[in-house]
Amino acid sequence: MFEDRRIGIALAAPAVLFVMLAFLLPVGILLSGSVTTPGGWGISRFTTFFAEPLYQEVVWRTLRLGALVTLASAAIGYAAALAIVDTSPATKGRLVGLFILPLMISPVARTYAWIVILGRTGLVNQVVTGLGLSDEPLRLLFTETAVFIGLVQLFLPLMVLSLVSALENLPADVVPAARVLGANWIAVFFRVILPLTREGLVIGGTLVFTGAVTAYITPAVLGGSKVLMLETLLYQRVSVANDYVSASVIAVILIAMSVAANALLKRAAAARKR
Amino acid sequence: MRYAGHAVLAAVVLFLIGPFLVIAAAGLSAGDTLTFPPQGLSLKWITAVFGMENFRQSFVLSLWLAVGSTALALLFGVPAAYGLARYPVPGRDFMRSIVFTPVIVPGIIAGLALLRHAVIPLGLPVTTALILAHTVLVVPYAVRVVTASLEHLRTDVEEAAVILGATRTGTFFRVVLPNIRNGILAAFILGFVTSFNQVPVSLFLTGPGITTLPIDMLASMEFVYDPSIAALSALLALMSMAIVMIAEKMLGLSRYV
Repeated sequence: MFEDRRIGIALAAPAVLFVMLAFLLPVGILLSGSVTTPGGWGISRFTTFFAEPLYQEVVWRTLRLGALVTLASAAIGYAAALAIVDTSPATKGRLVGLFILPLMISPVARTYAWIVILGRTGLVNQVVTGLGLSDEPLRLLFTETAVFIGLVQLFLPLMVLSLVSALENLPADVVPAARVLGANWIAVFFRVILPLTREGLVIGGTLVFTGAVTAYITPAVLGGSKVLMLETLLYQRVSVANDYVSASVIAVILIAMSVAANALLKRAAAARKR
Repeated sequence: MRYAGHAVLAAVVLFLIGPFLVIAAAGLSAGDTLTFPPQGLSLKWITAVFGMENFRQSFVLSLWLAVGSTALALLFGVPAAYGLARYPVPGRDFMRSIVFTPVIVPGIIAGLALLRHAVIPLGLPVTTALILAHTVLVVPYAVRVVTASLEHLRTDVEEAAVILGATRTGTFFRVVLPNIRNGILAAFILGFVTSFNQVPVSLFLTGPGITTLPIDMLASMEFVYDPSIAALSALLALMSMAIVMIAEKMLGLSRYV
């Protein structure tokens, strides 16, 4: 009964056309601004953009923070995920729920919590001045460290959830077998667990990396104008200077990062099916 | 080894959940400045938030925006998911990838593009622009979740209904729809949460006086130093927790995330 492809096309067409008209068309026009020059087409917008030291620094910082946040999430994520799969099924279900829950809560609320913790009269400074470790409150906000902490807290659950599902598919006897055969825990992790859960790591890592490099709220709230990342730079260029040319160049860079990460994700997913 | 693992897990959970406790405590402060530990406990700021006109307006807008754009996204997404899952549509994978592009493109770019190349040239009002942007954003979630739920539904029940004399439309509404109801509800909740919490897409599209709650909060952070935003954050976290827990009990939401 499902042979008539015209019905299928008619059902899918509204959604496809809507996304094309309300999304792909305007985004395409915006991106084309990055290769349009007064004389026609070219990459001069990019060379001008990358010649600016501040912009170079922002691109570099975005990639660096993306990589550091991904690495930290992977390290913490494995430790947490290994402990989670080690518990009873009922506890495991509850723990997984505990990692899903923050993903549903407003990132603005989640980020604001760090102002309460790291601010001038916040938790950390109350402890530091209370113990007499410093006379002045420490400047913790508007630093790269604050942005790093905020991003890890925001995206760590994605890594943990990917790793938990990868570890669940690990055959139950490979770790004991490696132990019996004389491997120590470090060897078990790097030579058995890591290779067998590589796809979960790639999926989680891609989600965390994409999330971190395209984050807006965290660098805006915890970094301010001192610690700009690509999205906050884009916002600043447009709202302060009406600089749509830089905005379109940043847009191309961000989409390139996002597409590259997603291509990696697709390859990992394809490897899993084989 | 096992104890070390549990200690690490406890530390990670504290890192993840701790900030919510801190913000809840800061929001329950009896003092007038944002500090932790709070200067005494009271519900003063929690009740004060409900009386703040700007937050009330942006909350109502965010609520309608989330409900409206998710409903619209489902109107586009459910037929698309059904058509692409059941019929041999030429270029099916291509169509699917078009529908999923809003997930890959960072929201701030979508918002700016829509503002510059649709809203300004066509003279669209702010609310229309926000609805458009949020609907685009939710369509991929609607298609993904409903597709997953259609894959669990055997096609022979539909064939049986047609053989027994039901029309195609009747079959869809009386056989398919009741069976994917949970998937649609899950898509609705995911879409609602996505739209309600959304910042980057709306950043360029909101105007003075017409703004969404998260953007209103971001803007207020620059000049508000009392515990009101902490109280509001705690309330929002509580609201999300309630939605997730109810959804998990009723539908097993975690299967779709």
